[in-house]
Order: sequence, then C-alpha cells, then structure tokens
Amino acid sequence: MTTLPKSLPLETPRLAPIRRSPLPRILLWLAVMVVTLWVLYPFAWAVITSFKTQRQALEPTFVPFLQFQPSLENWGAELGLGGRETAFALGNSIMISVGATLLATLLGTLTGYALARFRYGIGNRNIVSWVMSQRFLPPVATLIPFFLFMQRLKLIDTVPGMILVNTTFTLPFAILIMRDFFADFPEEIEEAALVDGASPLQIFLRVALPLATPALTAAAIICFAFAWNEYLFASVMAPKDAKPYTFLVASTSTVRGVHFGYLATRMLIAITLPVVLSLFVQRYIVRGLTLGAVKG
Amino acid sequence: MYKKTRARYFFLMPGIIWILAFTIFPLIYSLYLSFTNANMRNFNRGWDVIGLENYASIPSDLRVGETVVTSVYLTLGSTAVTLVLGTFVAWLFNHNLPGLRIFRGILTMPLFAAPIALGFMGLILFNETSGSINSFIRGLGGQGVRWMTDSWSARTAVLLLDAWQWTPFVFIIVLAAMQSIPDELYEAARLDTASGWPIFRHITFPLIAPALGTVALLRLVETFKILDIPLSMLGGGPGSATQTYSYYVYITGLRSFNMGYASSLAYILVIIAIIISSIYFWRIRARFE
Repeated sequence: MTTLPKSLPLETPRLAPIRRSPLPRILLWLAVMVVTLWVLYPFAWAVITSFKTQRQALEPTFVPFLQFQPSLENWGAELGLGGRETAFALGNSIMISVGATLLATLLGTLTGYALARFRYGIGNRNIVSWVMSQRFLPPVATLIPFFLFMQRLKLIDTVPGMILVNTTFTLPFAILIMRDFFADFPEEIEEAALVDGASPLQIFLRVALPLATPALTAAAIICFAFAWNEYLFASVMAPKDAKPYTFLVASTSTVRGVHFGYLATRMLIAITLPVVLSLFVQRYIVRGLTLGAVKG
Repeated sequence: MYKKTRARYFFLMPGIIWILAFTIFPLIYSLYLSFTNANMRNFNRGWDVIGLENYASIPSDLRVGETVVTSVYLTLGSTAVTLVLGTFVAWLFNHNLPGLRIFRGILTMPLFAAPIALGFMGLILFNETSGSINSFIRGLGGQGVRWMTDSWSARTAVLLLDAWQWTPFVFIIVLAAMQSIPDELYEAARLDTASGWPIFRHITFPLIAPALGTVALLRLVETFKILDIPLSMLGGGPGSATQTYSYYVYITGLRSFNMGYASSLAYILVIIAIIISSIYFWRIRARFE
C-alpha cells in the first residue's frame, strides 16, 4: 500500500499558476461572467419575484419601477402580519442547528484529534473509512427506525430530538474536518508540552485547541449549514412544535396555492444564512464536502 | 506521539459511540423491520416476522421500476452534466486572471442552499407560462417546453436544477486537482504545441482523472438519494414522473406507513451504497494511514 507524503500543503498557496493563457483574456473574462451570471441568475430572479404581487409574478418582467411597481406585500406577509409562525419556525431552526453544531463540533473535535494523534488497534484507517461511510448511507434507510425510536423516547416533535438527529448526520463531517486539520498540524509543539509534563488533556485544551480555531470555525459552519438545510427528518419528526423553517417552506404551496412572490420570499429567507456563512469557509469547502477525500 | 496512553480512548470514544448508537443500531433495526409486515394497522399491537416476503414482492411492484428509471436518469444525467460543466469552469478558473478569487466564492453559493427551497426556485424558473426559462427559449424563437406537465421534461427540469446546485462541487474539487499540477509540465508542453486543447487532452486531463473519478462516485451516490428537489418542486408529479426511488421509500414508509415493505426497499439502497462506498474507499484508502 502506497502512502502519500504526510505533509501535503495545507492550502494551495497561489490561486493560479503563472502561465500564459492560450485564449485572449477578454474571452476568458467573458466566459467567467457568463458562468457567474448562470449561478446568480436564479437568486436574482427570486429576489425580483419576491417584490412582485401575484399578478405581476405571472409576467416575465425584470426591472423594478420601470417594468413593474415593486411591492413589499410578500415580505410584509412573511415578516409582518404572518410573522409569528415565521419567527417560531426560524427560532426552532436556530435552536436545532446551533445545538447540533455545538454537539457535533465538540464530539467531532475530540474524535478527530484522537484519530490524528493516537494509534488504535483496530487501525485508524479503518475507523476513518467507517466514519466516512456514514455519508454514503441513504437517509431514508434510517428514517423509519429513527422515527420509531424517537416515538419510544418521547422525543418526537421536540427540539432536543431534532438536535439529536442533526448531530448524527453532521458528526462525520466534523470528525473528518478536524482529523484532517490535526493530521496536517506539526506534532512538535505538543511534544514539547509533553516533555514539560503536561497531561494529554492539558495538551489538547491548552495547545492544540487554540491553534485549531480556523478549522473549528469551518467545521461549525458546515455542520450548521447541513442542520439548517435538513428537511427529510424534520418532515417526519418535527411537524408541529419543533417545526424548523425548511418544513414551513415546504408546506407553503399547500397552504396558499402557487403564489410565486411569496414562495420566492420564503425561499430566500431559507437559504440566506447558510449561503452567506459559506463565504467564510472557502478554504475548507473542498475538504469539508468530500470528507477530506480531496485536498483543497 | 504518546501513542499508548489510556487517554486516547477518552478522546475517541464519545464520537464513535454516538455514531454507533444512532446509525448502526437503526440500520440493524431497519434490517429486522424489512423481514416483518409492520404497517399502520398492526403498529400498536405488534407485527409479525414474515421472512423474505417483502423482498420477494419488490420485483412485481410496478412503481419500483418507474421510480428506478427516474432515479437512474437523474443520477446519470446530473452526474454527467456536473462533471462536464464543473471541469470546464475549473479550467476557466485555472487561468491567471486577477480577482478570480471573489468569483470563486460566488460560484460555490448554490452548494449551501437548502434543496427543499431550491425546488421552489425551480417551480418559479421552470413555470411554463411565466417562468424565465421558457421566456428565454421563446425569446430565441423556440417553443416553450412543458416542464411541469410532460414527464420527461419535468424529470429534465429536476435534473438541471440539481446540476445547477452541484456543478460548483465538481468545480472546486477539479480546480484543486488542476492547481496541484506542476507548472513545469505545462511549460514543457508549450514548447511543442501552442494550442490549448492538446495540452488539456494530454496533460491536464490525465492528471485530474483520479479526482474526476472520486467526484463522479460521490456525485452518483449523492444524486441517487435525491428527494428534496422533486418533492418541493412538483410533489413528485406530473403524475408520479419525478418520484425518485428514495421518494418512493419515503412515502411508502411514512405516508402510507407500510414500514416493513419500505424497509426492504430501503435496504436495497443500503446494499447499493455499501458497494459504491467500498469502491470509493478502495480508491482513497492510501490517504488515511
């Protein structure tokens, strides 16, 4: 079995190698613009639609004020008059995501550190592969037993129950992001502390953890995004009292028929937080999403 | 380092026990359920073990065939589209243009949007009369596509939306692979040829191929689980055209409460997942010692 060099660069030091482009720059920029437009267009269209009344939303107009008179009707309905349900669901989403993030990051940091620093009889590689394999598991396969267990534990439709579910799904990400970080991190500093007579726990808390803040932030943001976006388990286990915002969004069309502007408003509220947070973890996205399989 | 200290178990075990308790245990229970006739009616007074009966009835379930066709179409289609587009965008971003870093951030935004919400975005964009995609097609002189009412068009709409969300994933991974290719290789090649395509074909592509393989596997597994987008976009319709296999398991188990049968359907999925993840680990194992 070949082993890759242990000290692959933590991040690619330069954005792009200096090489002459085979195409004129103008063409390249044009292509980059087209690609950016293609990514941003749906978001932009949703923003425009959210300021339209139902009748306006049925016409393909783009420019507010010139082509149509923008209206705050949808935002008002979601955040103003109908705001109580929204606030309730958003509150649940925040409690669930923050709770799951804290738990997953805590457990993930401990286990990730363990897998990077110690050796286990069963083989570290096997443990890592097994943790990774959790991602391949189809969620529908655990949905039914989870539902039955939660019912038995009386955790159906409770925030703690949903925290438990989301911690389970995000934990592998936290473990592998943290393992990768600690594995790339030189052991010498910790060894020096060991020589000074510090215990493993002291070394972890006083030496390793403070240095891991960037990776910890990345792991937390990725866990948060996954928990925030979770819908499947919420639809089964949190239909009422612990209803998160994704569930509220999904129930939109059945409540009001297809009301495009309103739908766009809710969609935007649902996606904003994780999308904005993701901009802060660019360095870790590649590894985070491939569970460390690819170095970014 | 201190490889044999007892403290190592204190660090490892909490996370491992958590995963064991909340994923392995449910999986075993799910396997048991798949051999029973658990359903809504006998849910409270207990169900019977019926052996392989659930599995035996899968081949004659017409809905299974239909949902598998949808899932396979979406999985292969979306994986192919994301690989091609993602590689192209990565190639663009592998040029030395100032300011590209900002655009890279913008391009990864779709990855973090909740799929359930994106389904609604699809509903707005692909709407047959007012949606901007049909407006665009008509603007070019074409005829509007019946995204919402024609089975294959609806499946394609779901496919395009999923591909839109996941192309950035392929993009960032392939870009990372491209950036790890040493400059010297390009410089040597440039002495022989001036055009970009032979360089891509003979140098870049062979060197990013392993990353492409990894990413293709990840995308295949992920897309086969797709459920949120078809659910919110068209409710599985028109008819049941956009119901995927996962979707069918979901409604069988938790809408019709036919839990025993749904568990057997789900287990087929688990077995496929185990096969694909074995291939995956065989490919990347070397990295984790």
